[in-house]
Amino acid sequence: MTLLAQAADVAATDASTAETIVFYVFAALALGSGLAVITMRNIVHGALMLVLNLLAIAGLYLALESTFLSIIQVLVYAGAITVLFLFVIMLLGIDRDDLLSVTSKRNAILASAAVALLAGALLVGIVGPYTGEASLCNQGATTTAGGACIGLEDALAGEEQGSVSFLGERMFTRYTFPFELSALLLTVATIGATLLGRRRDPEPDDEDDAPIGSGGTHVPADVLAADLDAVSEHSDARVEGDRPELRDAGQDPELDRGRDDSSVAPRGRDDSHPHRDTPEREG
Amino acid sequence: MPIGYYLVVSALLFCTGLLGVMVRRNAIVLFMCIELMLNAVNLTLAAAARMWGGADGQVFVFFVIVVAAAEVVIGLALIVNLFFRRGTLDVDVPQLLRS
Repeated sequence: MTLLAQAADVAATDASTAETIVFYVFAALALGSGLAVITMRNIVHGALMLVLNLLAIAGLYLALESTFLSIIQVLVYAGAITVLFLFVIMLLGIDRDDLLSVTSKRNAILASAAVALLAGALLVGIVGPYTGEASLCNQGATTTAGGACIGLEDALAGEEQGSVSFLGERMFTRYTFPFELSALLLTVATIGATLLGRRRDPEPDDEDDAPIGSGGTHVPADVLAADLDAVSEHSDARVEGDRPELRDAGQDPELDRGRDDSSVAPRGRDDSHPHRDTPEREG
Repeated sequence: MPIGYYLVVSALLFCTGLLGVMVRRNAIVLFMCIELMLNAVNLTLAAAARMWGGADGQVFVFFVIVVAAAEVVIGLALIVNLFFRRGTLDVDVPQLLRS
């Protein structure tokens, strides 16, 4: 009996040293890549550092015996979300701007001081109750004689089912309603992203409501067509002419005025008085 | 090992993300920093789930990941629209609501 207990103790210490090594490696990786995310001037490098950070956190999940979470983290975060980030960065072509890096020095110093204060408060709050023996692991479930940790995986193995089925059973019994809500949320997010990403072309086929709204106020058809042509030419010129201006800071008032005009022009098309809209706004 | 170590890492990651949100000016970098903060909270939840030996914390992590995916999808669509409309992603440029 004592031999068995000794063997269990040896196995436990081996597991705990392995966990310690894994923890320190992945914690250092996570913290370093997290700092790199907020300090990289190139956004693509920042996104790649975010991938590294998410993988390191997946490793920490492994050390926490949450294998399902680790796989989900790699699949969803590192596989989907960061790919989405990189896709948007490449789509917008903003991977080279280092002008948009940091706010003013004074704000940065103030923010660093405030965050350091918060970090100190958090660490002081953590170190008290959560580093003692009482918080080793698996506190709510069974504990061995000396209060040693038997781990989540062993607790799950006692029920003769794996981590995934345990999680799935809990998710579909107690958390069924939040699960359905999350499905609804994903559907709404998909529809919303599709709507937001739709390009509004100034073609008459796409603007079914514009002739109806303008028909009530007796705008002649040729005026409307000319206005539409002007709008389309204007927006084309804006897209062509905007590209080189993106490289510089975008702070000069000349650029802002051009942007204001371009934002007015498509709205005048939907308005019932397209040709009378512009003087009112300038006045 | 006690979960305090994990909580320390999580707190430092959260503060890193918060500092990034406060300091950086690019909207996409702000979103990445929000992802950092969400991951820090996820780590806290997973550590607590392990300490209590239950699955509730892991279910919460699952839901946080789902909500983060939805948030990123909508936020990046908004960012693309914002860039096409304003020509910049600088969140410090005023006049966002000026007529």
